[in-house]
Amino acid sequence: MSVQRRNMPAFNQLSEHARTVRKQVITMVARHGQGYVQQGLGAADLFTYLYFHELRLSPDSLQHPDRDRFILSTAHNTAVFYATLARRGFLEADELEHYCADGSALEINASERLGGLVECTCGSLGQGLSVACGLALGFKKAGNPARVFVMLGDGELEEGQLWEAALFAASQKLDNIILIIDLNYMQVEGDARQVASVDPVDEKFSAFGWHVLKTDGHDFEQMFSVFSSVSDQSGRPCAVIAKTVPGKGVAFLEGQRSHNMVLPCDAADRACHLLEAGQ
Amino acid sequence: MSSPGNNNISAQELHLEDFSTKSTPAAAARPYGDALYHAARKNENILVLSADLTAATETDVIRDNLPEQFIMCGIAEANMVGVSAGLARCGFIPFIHSFSVFLTRRSFDQIAMQIAYPNLNVKLVGFMPGIDSLLGVSHQATDDIALMRSLPNMTIIEPGDSSQYSSAVAAAIDFDGPVYLRLNRNSPHVPGERDIQPVDRGRFHCLRPGTDAAVFASGLCVEQALRAAESLAGEGYNVAVINSVSFKPVDTEMIEKMAQQTGCIITAENHSIIGGLGSAVSEVLAEAGLAVNFRRIGVRDCFAEGGSRDYLFDKYGLSAQHIAQAVREMKAQQ
Repeated sequence: MSVQRRNMPAFNQLSEHARTVRKQVITMVARHGQGYVQQGLGAADLFTYLYFHELRLSPDSLQHPDRDRFILSTAHNTAVFYATLARRGFLEADELEHYCADGSALEINASERLGGLVECTCGSLGQGLSVACGLALGFKKAGNPARVFVMLGDGELEEGQLWEAALFAASQKLDNIILIIDLNYMQVEGDARQVASVDPVDEKFSAFGWHVLKTDGHDFEQMFSVFSSVSDQSGRPCAVIAKTVPGKGVAFLEGQRSHNMVLPCDAADRACHLLEAGQ
Repeated sequence: MSSPGNNNISAQELHLEDFSTKSTPAAAARPYGDALYHAARKNENILVLSADLTAATETDVIRDNLPEQFIMCGIAEANMVGVSAGLARCGFIPFIHSFSVFLTRRSFDQIAMQIAYPNLNVKLVGFMPGIDSLLGVSHQATDDIALMRSLPNMTIIEPGDSSQYSSAVAAAIDFDGPVYLRLNRNSPHVPGERDIQPVDRGRFHCLRPGTDAAVFASGLCVEQALRAAESLAGEGYNVAVINSVSFKPVDTEMIEKMAQQTGCIITAENHSIIGGLGSAVSEVLAEAGLAVNFRRIGVRDCFAEGGSRDYLFDKYGLSAQHIAQAVREMKAQQ
């Protein structure tokens, strides 16, 4: 088992990026008065870590065949996705003003209209991991070192197809797949544990033959340590269970499970001030 | 343990796999599997995916002889569709296999989102379409064409008989995009001596000329239509038969030509009368403003049951005599 030695990221810089991403999420959603703000704030640290440190992907290598692929299976969590892409230089910051506007490629569910940044169009839940399996198997057949990352919500674990893909990935030994489960216990109807509990997620994936890792989805040092321990020689696909808090970073929003939350302008202003002040 | 010389039945003989192979001898002809095998041997980008119906979809020849190009997906059609999309995005040409009903109905959303929307080069191969199954309603695909026809970017090819399977595989490979191939095992050769016409995307084949009526038939109904035309010839009717081998995109030119020539159009398909070939032809006729006598032969908006091909075609009105009777009635009205 070979574990790659990697440079340690500047954690304070990651925090600063995440703070900017969060402000952008608030601004983008507030423009419409309602949207995916809670899950965006919750996943801001994960997206920041992935796009600023983990993914072998940069704005000038977007067409490179060996680039890591990132599949957003939770395709609705776009405020944070687009905000991170803009901060990383994949999108112009002023494009974010057209988020969800008629005719804009920045749709509320990410689609391939955006081009190469969207590796496959999800939104119909449970499909992203299957496509990832095909990509990962194709890369192995072609000798391509690219890794396939999939961002999945915990509510999405209720879809049967996800478990078909989990079986397939393990039986094909697709150790070039890294599945990130954004464990925020949030779905449309409320707390996922009350809707249709999928706990214990770690034991389920272990039983399916996966290498399972856990991290606090807001702790960059822990994320660095966990993702650095993922090996693409293990013979097993890897699931990283990242516990996140909806609304993270804005005290009066933290912990509120609202799928498509109303965000009035005054609340958005207050949230931005809090983020500016670093709470 | 069996040993040479005893009377035990070998595991091979006992392994019947599935009712779709019931009447097939061990060394059965595999017109589709052989065609795909030859294509895959020449093109290593062709990958063959199966969902636990390998022999039933004739792909055992690839499994056994080109294992590097064969992927077993287990009984998980929805996942197989997603996997094929990922492979196509890597530049491979996946051929995915199951019975028509599981491939199209069970995985419709996955096909729509992961294959048709991104217009990927995946070939969907469905066997045992229509009502032709002992296995009953769960295994009968009477809506697969309606489903696939409604998807943007999808091409549909249904050869009239197995002599066209090799050409159908070639046509599917030649076209860079999603193709639904609708195939039968034990497909009868259509009667009569004729050259095999190569499958050409969006083109029908006229198998028999005629001026009194034209039957647009597909798949197993091509043979039925030819038999109907033969018996009608004895009654003085000169009936054309069109092998509607590729009907999405639809051959508008041929439909309009036959409508003008005969004024009497019948469609015949092993599928519901809703959404399939009958619908496709009627849409062309209506939009062209061609007022003709028109009749659809097919499953008349009902679920069927398991049975033999002859029994079911007779009961659900798909046989040569039903086609012939439709022509007689229509000519009597004219």
